[in-house]
Amino acid sequence: MSADPGKYLTFFLGAEEYGMEILAVHEIIGVLPITRVPRTPPFVRGVINLRGRVISILDLRRKFDLPAVEPGPTSCIIVVAAHAAHVGLLVDRVSEVADIAAGDIEPPPPLGAGVQTDFLVGIAKSAARVRLLLDISRVIDAGDLAAAGPDGGAPTAA
Amino acid sequence: MPSASRRTPRAILSRFDELSAAIGRLVVSDLETRGALRTDVLALIDHVPSRETRACVSLRLVAEALRPDRDRGERQPALHRAALALLEAVRTYLASPKASDRLSLIEGPERSAIAIMRNLPEASPALKPRTSDLIGLTDRRPRSVVARAGSLPALALPNDTDRSLLGDFCDEAREYIESAEAALLVLEREPDNGEAAQTVMRAFHSIKGTAGFLKLDGLVALAHHGESLLGERRHRDGFAGGIAALSLRALDALRDTVKNLDASRDGSPLAYPPGFLDVLRELEDVDAETGATAAEPAGRRATSGPAARDAGATHSARVRLDRLDALVDLVGELVVAHWMIAQDPASGHDHPELARKVAHAGKLVRDLHDMSMGLRMVPLRGTCNKLVRLARDLAQRAGKEVDCRVEGEMTELDRNMVELVADPLMHMVRNAIDHGIEPPEERQTRGKPAAGCLTLRATQMNGQVVVALTDDGRGLQRDRILDRAQARGLVRPGEALSDADVLDLIFAPGLSTAQQVTDVSGRGVGMDVVRRNIEALHGRVDVQSTPGQGTTITLRVPLTLAITDGMLVRVGDERYIVPTTNVVVSFRPERGALFTVGGRGEMVRLRHDVLPLVRLHRLLDVPGACDDPAAALLMVVSAGERRCALLVDSIVGQQQVVAKPVTAGIGDVPGISGAAILGDGRVGLILDVPQVLELARRAQPNTQAVA
Repeated sequence: MSADPGKYLTFFLGAEEYGMEILAVHEIIGVLPITRVPRTPPFVRGVINLRGRVISILDLRRKFDLPAVEPGPTSCIIVVAAHAAHVGLLVDRVSEVADIAAGDIEPPPPLGAGVQTDFLVGIAKSAARVRLLLDISRVIDAGDLAAAGPDGGAPTAA
Repeated sequence: MPSASRRTPRAILSRFDELSAAIGRLVVSDLETRGALRTDVLALIDHVPSRETRACVSLRLVAEALRPDRDRGERQPALHRAALALLEAVRTYLASPKASDRLSLIEGPERSAIAIMRNLPEASPALKPRTSDLIGLTDRRPRSVVARAGSLPALALPNDTDRSLLGDFCDEAREYIESAEAALLVLEREPDNGEAAQTVMRAFHSIKGTAGFLKLDGLVALAHHGESLLGERRHRDGFAGGIAALSLRALDALRDTVKNLDASRDGSPLAYPPGFLDVLRELEDVDAETGATAAEPAGRRATSGPAARDAGATHSARVRLDRLDALVDLVGELVVAHWMIAQDPASGHDHPELARKVAHAGKLVRDLHDMSMGLRMVPLRGTCNKLVRLARDLAQRAGKEVDCRVEGEMTELDRNMVELVADPLMHMVRNAIDHGIEPPEERQTRGKPAAGCLTLRATQMNGQVVVALTDDGRGLQRDRILDRAQARGLVRPGEALSDADVLDLIFAPGLSTAQQVTDVSGRGVGMDVVRRNIEALHGRVDVQSTPGQGTTITLRVPLTLAITDGMLVRVGDERYIVPTTNVVVSFRPERGALFTVGGRGEMVRLRHDVLPLVRLHRLLDVPGACDDPAAALLMVVSAGERRCALLVDSIVGQQQVVAKPVTAGIGDVPGISGAAILGDGRVGLILDVPQVLELARRAQPNTQAVA
């Protein structure tokens, strides 16, 4: 499957710029105090109180095996709707809303074994930038998360 | 000059043009412009000729689509387009001299605007039009011909049906059916109660109206005949038993159809429920006998309907659930916002005057929060009505006479809870009718009145709701229960049991209270299921019985599942909530009370007990927690038969918290049952004590005491 042209919200993790379809984005908020949730995979940062709702926060750096950093002044939480729930994604910096044309999108290159690429659905190239386009519902894989307890836990459908 | 009065002043029309242009230019994120435009549209309503109410309704919809807070997402442009289209349509409508095609001009744009608005999950529903408003608006179209059973097409929705209206229709219909059912039961006792008869007729009439709008001919027909049954037929014959039974069956058929309609929104195939046609035919026959058409009175009642409905609604207002939830969310946000002010150094000790004001505001915010939580409480009345209906039907089937009494039907309970206690209560009613109350002849030989008495009493006590079901039947017979229990190996022969212990046996799995098997028995559920369900709600079931005089079964459940009474404990930098029901005691152990088993399993002695010690920070992997039990605190927790002592740094306090699920995006987390917003706005996790005990047992396999 490849990425569709259209409006993308782009953001940075370190030096890499990523994009996700704007339709999936619910809102962008600053970093709120995060409560750690025990016995969850490392990329689960914890949960926050978003106007009375408890939503979980995933650290995209850790999810993509990038070196972990503590949230800084430009860090943001992108709240997305996926799998019938709202989930927050912790990113270093939100960049812009970009119109990405069909001609600029290339399929993701094969990166060899060991590199997780199934949520990478395309690469958008323009002038001097390369943006990695994500399928956000694959980044937040409900089944993967439910079974991800460190000792197996009791994986039940959420 | 009649033609002039039809024409809309040029000034108004040019105002439309200005507004259209402005909405067309509207920048997506410009809240201020949107707000100003909205005010302009509302102001325009004052200038529209007063006879054009329909145009004003549409203009209000335009204003609603322009509300600055309506949607911050990407659907906003769609809303603006819809508003623009609708505004244009109203303009054409007002300018159009031909009355015949005017309505068709605005109906389409109106519907699409509503559809877009209704799909906004975050949208403020404040001005969302209700189905009934739309019905009023479209009532001018010719009433659809009432279908006859013989010519009834399959149940289907026209292709252009607004699916979002269907949900509202189902909600409203269910409410009407419920009130009609209650009123019919009143009518059975008091045949001359005109108000109750009106309630039933109004229910049928309202359902008929909305069903007509959705072109559901079968429902229209059923409701139509139901209405005339209660109207003309009742006037002629009085309220004989046959009418009551038939009306109840008509309501059942309506209810089942509505259920199917509701299910069809999730893609289930749509069909009339079994028996629908039979009821409809029967109703038609009765109606034909009467030889009256209800069309004329129906029209008359339509005008008196809303007024009568308003009169009954003085003590409460009907609020949509999404509005309620939005309010509760907003108050939650307010609590956090206030906390941030209170935490700000600017309002600290240097400014005692400001600090005092902030503290005062804080109290109000907390009160507001408590009150908003209370809004979700609903009375048990609906459930009581269902139970009375069930008792009546069962008694009739079993050839028994039962007089049902309900006390405290206005006792309130969280609406989620109401649904969860309904099943156990229904089971209890079945038992009471089937096994408790004797047949009339038997009762008379025992010197009791022929009609049995079944009393449902609900009260609120100490933060709990107590529902007691009392029958004056034969009571539970100690010897029979004991025989059965022994036969099933639940009790050893010769074992001495107190009366309470024996009665308690009816909750044992596999033991039926039935003394003879009847057609109502063999349902596959027993009192053990009742107890299990109630205990799952953190509630209790008790039974009292006197042989020959009757049985009382009492349910005690908390007011709400959402609120958990908890102890807030600190472990390192984290805080956890331990449900108070699981907490036995907490203490600081002396060093001598600590020992290990086999060099691994840590134990602690508390008076005569020896408990496994569970270091919560290890189990939950919390860094920086106190590691020395003698310097920290042990909290003894229990779940069922299991107990252990949890090592925590300290107890922060006791508080009520609102439990929310934590699983979204994470999945189930072992050891954690949910999350709650703490007083400082941060999220605290609620420990699932049974799971914590299980995790601890697995972590220390050679410790048996946890098991």
